[in-house]
Amino acid sequence: MRRFRVGSAFRRTALLCMLILLALAVTPVASHHAFSPVYDAKKTIVVEGVVTQFRFVNPHAMMLMDVTDKKTGKVVKWNVEFAGRLNLEEAGWTADSIKPGELVKVTGNPTWTGSQRMAFVKLVRADGTTLEPGRAQRLSAIEEERRQRAKQREQQPAQQATPEK
Amino acid sequence: MLRCAWVLLALVVTGCSEAPPAPAPKPMPSKLEGMWSDPPPTAVGTLCFFACTDAAIERLNALLDDPKNDARPFPQLAAEAQKHQTDNYLRPRLTEAALKTYPLDPADDPGFLRCEPWGLAKQMFAPHQLEIRRAGDDRIELRYGEWEAVRTVHVDGRAVPANVPPSRLGYSVGHFEGETLVVETSAVAPGITWWDSQHSDQFRVTERFTRSDDGETLNLTATIEDPWGLREPVVAKKIWRWAPNQKITPYDACEPATEFKKGTGEP
Repeated sequence: MRRFRVGSAFRRTALLCMLILLALAVTPVASHHAFSPVYDAKKTIVVEGVVTQFRFVNPHAMMLMDVTDKKTGKVVKWNVEFAGRLNLEEAGWTADSIKPGELVKVTGNPTWTGSQRMAFVKLVRADGTTLEPGRAQRLSAIEEERRQRAKQREQQPAQQATPEK
Repeated sequence: MLRCAWVLLALVVTGCSEAPPAPAPKPMPSKLEGMWSDPPPTAVGTLCFFACTDAAIERLNALLDDPKNDARPFPQLAAEAQKHQTDNYLRPRLTEAALKTYPLDPADDPGFLRCEPWGLAKQMFAPHQLEIRRAGDDRIELRYGEWEAVRTVHVDGRAVPANVPPSRLGYSVGHFEGETLVVETSAVAPGITWWDSQHSDQFRVTERFTRSDDGETLNLTATIEDPWGLREPVVAKKIWRWAPNQKITPYDACEPATEFKKGTGEP
């Protein structure tokens, strides 16, 4: 099993994850229940393995993956919990967004108990393409709105200072 | 053979003459019908993803208008606006009875523990899809993606009948005021509000649904009363975005919680 703690090699990823995790605090994507009783949103882990099943269901989509410990060769089943299909479809996901047999690296929040289970934050496929939750797109749109707002704010004093003709 | 043919013909004629197709229900006097879903990806839309109040919206706008906050991440500002809402709007409205258990531990949520569907006080603000349809001239259906919940709103002028037993989603009657659909609901069984407080069977709510001028959003203003749990009404807001291509998919894979930790909610 390869299990990476956030460290120097993952600093940039960790920063991105932190921003996404902050989004979790205000964007209730957890559908039918809060994630906080199960997952520690302040921590992230990264697990690499082969997808064995992706269930595109409500209230939460689930993915099973086989994770091989490179030292012992032992295979451990990991379970990744996502927002629900209702939510993921809004972001353009389908039942084929994750396919069995794919080698993936998944970033997620660990459980409080340290079990082989995580709440999805980001997935990177072997070809480098990524899957992110819809809230990442939402945050990007909000940042653009904030830039426009700041621009308007900067222009307002100049307009007010312009003497009337 | 000839007799059989006559019998078959008679059956066909009889069948055709019976039960003419039901006439389509009258359209609503507003443009609310159809599928709605998650709010636009705006700052306020995201703040009100589940529900919010004017207190939170005003606070967020003030934070966004202050150049000192330009470098702060949006989620941090939204969290601050929500805390302002909790401290200055919600908490002061709660009665001593409600404050005894407020905020409820998310690990005690029956939906989480046992997959029990939400009661009205949360369901009416459920994220994701909301489909509004006529279900006859005398009723409108509100269909939610979350929990596949269906509410019936009687729009034939009736009042809530006396002695209706409290139920999870209560009993709803509605009418139109211009293009605004006004829904009044009572007879709701005790449950949990969207701000994680208990409510009693005295809970009642008036919902006002309006479509924006550009047709792109559905806006809800809900006035919530509960003499047991609230000193004065809570006025909550919610926004949906027009989403004609969205659909409600089966909600059939809920699994009761198997591992969790208590005490992880907001302080």
